[in-house]
Amino acid sequence: MKFRWSHSFIILFAIGIFFLTGCDNTSSNQDQDTNTTQETNQNTDNNTSANTSTETNTTTETSTTDSGVIIPKSGGILDFAVPRDPPSFDCHRENTFACIHPIAPFYSLLARFDQNNYPAIVGDVAESWDVSDDGLNYTFHLHDDILFHDGSKLTAEDVKATYEKIIFPPEGIVSARKGSYLMVDSVEAPDDVTVVFNLKWPSISFLANIASPWNFIYKASILAEDPTWYESNVMGTGAFKFVEYVNGAFLSGERFDDYFMPGRPYLDGFKAIFINSMSARVAAVRGGEALIEFRGFTPTARDDIVRQLGDEAVVQEGPWICYLNVAINNEREPFNDSRIRRALNLALDRWGASDTISKITFIGYVGGLMRPGSEFAAPEEELTQYEGFWTDIEASRTEARRLLEEAGIDEGFSFQFKNRAIGDPFEHVGVWLIDQWSQIGLNVEQVVQEDAAFFADRSGGNFDATMDWECGFMDEPDLQLFKFLSTGVSGSNYSRYSDPTLDSLYERQSKAATIEERIGIVREFERYLFNEQAYTFPTLWYYRISPHWAKVKGWTQLPSHYLNQDLRDVWLDE
Amino acid sequence: MQQYIAQRLLLMIPTLFGVALFIFLLMRVLPGDIVEIRFTSEGGFVSEEMIQIERARLGLDQPLPVQFIKWMYGLIGQPSVDAQFPFIHLQAPDLGVSMWTGRPITEEIAIRFQLSLQVAIMGTLLSILIAIPLGTLAAMYQDTWIDYSVRIFSVGGLAIPSFWLGILIILFLLNTFNWIPPFIFTPIWEDPGKNLTQLIWPTLAIGYSYSAIATRMMRSSMLEVLRDDYVRTARAKGLLEHVTVVRHVLPNAMLPVITVVGLEFAFLLGGLVVTEQVFNLNGIGKLFVEAINHRDYTLTQALVLLVAVTFIFVNFVVDLLYAAFDPRIKYE
Repeated sequence: MKFRWSHSFIILFAIGIFFLTGCDNTSSNQDQDTNTTQETNQNTDNNTSANTSTETNTTTETSTTDSGVIIPKSGGILDFAVPRDPPSFDCHRENTFACIHPIAPFYSLLARFDQNNYPAIVGDVAESWDVSDDGLNYTFHLHDDILFHDGSKLTAEDVKATYEKIIFPPEGIVSARKGSYLMVDSVEAPDDVTVVFNLKWPSISFLANIASPWNFIYKASILAEDPTWYESNVMGTGAFKFVEYVNGAFLSGERFDDYFMPGRPYLDGFKAIFINSMSARVAAVRGGEALIEFRGFTPTARDDIVRQLGDEAVVQEGPWICYLNVAINNEREPFNDSRIRRALNLALDRWGASDTISKITFIGYVGGLMRPGSEFAAPEEELTQYEGFWTDIEASRTEARRLLEEAGIDEGFSFQFKNRAIGDPFEHVGVWLIDQWSQIGLNVEQVVQEDAAFFADRSGGNFDATMDWECGFMDEPDLQLFKFLSTGVSGSNYSRYSDPTLDSLYERQSKAATIEERIGIVREFERYLFNEQAYTFPTLWYYRISPHWAKVKGWTQLPSHYLNQDLRDVWLDE
Repeated sequence: MQQYIAQRLLLMIPTLFGVALFIFLLMRVLPGDIVEIRFTSEGGFVSEEMIQIERARLGLDQPLPVQFIKWMYGLIGQPSVDAQFPFIHLQAPDLGVSMWTGRPITEEIAIRFQLSLQVAIMGTLLSILIAIPLGTLAAMYQDTWIDYSVRIFSVGGLAIPSFWLGILIILFLLNTFNWIPPFIFTPIWEDPGKNLTQLIWPTLAIGYSYSAIATRMMRSSMLEVLRDDYVRTARAKGLLEHVTVVRHVLPNAMLPVITVVGLEFAFLLGGLVVTEQVFNLNGIGKLFVEAINHRDYTLTQALVLLVAVTFIFVNFVVDLLYAAFDPRIKYE
């Protein structure tokens, strides 16, 4: 009798656990057949696609005019998830999306990327701008009716003070992107509505840098009094006013009634809820505690959300200006031999991986140094000529083995690959790399490290090969190629090499007179890096997946998670 | 007794100093740099010049002894002489500011402490409510189906991590009711209903897991006491069984359970790292992990001191409770 009772308890307990866990796994597997997943694979295969996202929407639209135009509704509070707190409120000094997502709604920019026509740039506080014939002077004409949240009027002095803080920061003040504005000689404000940037040399990327999502416009008088004030306070001209911040919990804003754009914003307010754990963020969207998370989810998370919300879910997917990179320590033997580095690159079956890895994590586009599908990216016929991108993987690996043999590397040569202790997508790609290298006879051990130790080893050169990555806010060679310049020139070159050829090509493309000329030099840069040196090389590019509640309207996913976060066009269909 | 309390309180000073010195050195030995984590974790091109500016701003360019003395100086309180009265006053201890957020550490901790304290109290109470009756019943009905059931239940609690139980609870709520608990904390005095709606679920997960050890401790302790001579004497003189148990067995069997529960309570205040992530609770455990991951020296040091103070204080209270439960124990 005693035995039966205890037995029954175990069986009931086991059934309960099986039911609870089984529900979730089963449903995830079923979702492999949904339209959403098919959409993902199509995107991955299509490397020439698109700056815009594909949207899977199963809901019916409401509030349309006779001509079918959707009329946005006003009102409502948007609750959205952010994976972590902003380190400070001053995005001029920060380098994380966790600053932009909750803080951008409080500020305006001088110019911004158009969410409906990326990468076109449109004015924000600037109504229009002129460029001098020699390309050395950019004159911005501001709207004359813009108010700060304290009721004072925005003038050109505010824009000038903001950009001077970014480009020529006062002593002791950090400006994270100061290096992007080396071409700027001075900033002037000849009158209240005119700002002039005088450049040292013509720069094609200057305007894009002006539209940087980090460059919130601050108030000149506040900056003059205390340039650190904005680190812990918020006061801008954006569509929303700051209400409350509870560290680790949430940050909220309310509509700014005097916002300069008529009829905007649509929302009454927003609440950014800080949720660290990916599973908790997924649960938050599934349960309606958050309607959207603007960075992106994994394919599995997307499937869970779609299954839970059904018709109430929308999924936006598309390419992302982020990629994972293999950095090789060029100061260590035998990796200072280009044949070995080239062999490591040639071993990677990127085309095969784009089909498989994309099913488990948000990565999968095959591309060179520029985002696949972007203006500067190598077209597929050219890309497949680069070493490491050949479609015939057997030929590629045969060449890799030949190079290793020529370099005197024996079968079973061992080294360590250091990686971040983050599953998506780092560890997945790390496992893939180990497998790829094993197929040319190398024995590679993956060492997974927590962030602080990983960063210390990476910057200190304590590695054979390590994971590296890059995310940008726009498709711009000045930004994307900067990583590959010589150590000492580029702070983010962790591969520890010096190469005047790459430095010279970078400078040439940056100062090229035409787009065509620039594209040609970018191709030359890629060919040299992949076919001759392979100091460091990309694995695969990310794709961005934003599943959200269908009632969130007016937000278009762009190729960067840093862009389009001011929420002024977002509305709730409820 | 008063002398004993004074001695224990004074002993806290060298203990805490030792903890402070140890964690200060330990953090500096760990590889990693807060500035590098801050500026390069998402890629980006922050120059070496900017990194050095930030390091100087945080005081990381100063020698270690200087950093330690500055920290201690703030912690102990800056002495000042009152002009009106011939006394030297110590200002309130200043834990400094978080290197990561730039906000006062007292503010960072205060926001989280009330949530962690409430969860710790609720979790401890639940574990006591489960452990004492179940442990008592299991001992009184040893080797019956009741005993077996309680043992299976408590072994389940030991085997199932509270965070995993938390995940199961969330999945159950989502799959069954299409609902999850709120993610934003509401203090109990503002809206008790909303507060309990959020915290009852982690309390269940934690209370069950933490009751397991206490249940088993209660059972074995009860079994030991039930065999003692004075219990046999009580029964022999005709006392009813429940009176014997409540008056003579339980108080004596409680001593080891109090120790376990006390330590669990102290641990719950700062150690609920994963469970807090699962339920997105803005508690001390989550803050602790973030501080270590960011290599936020000042915040980590303050949190370690907080946990040390909590453990010392809880041990102190447990020792005092011994005397209350067992009249044979007297502190001189």
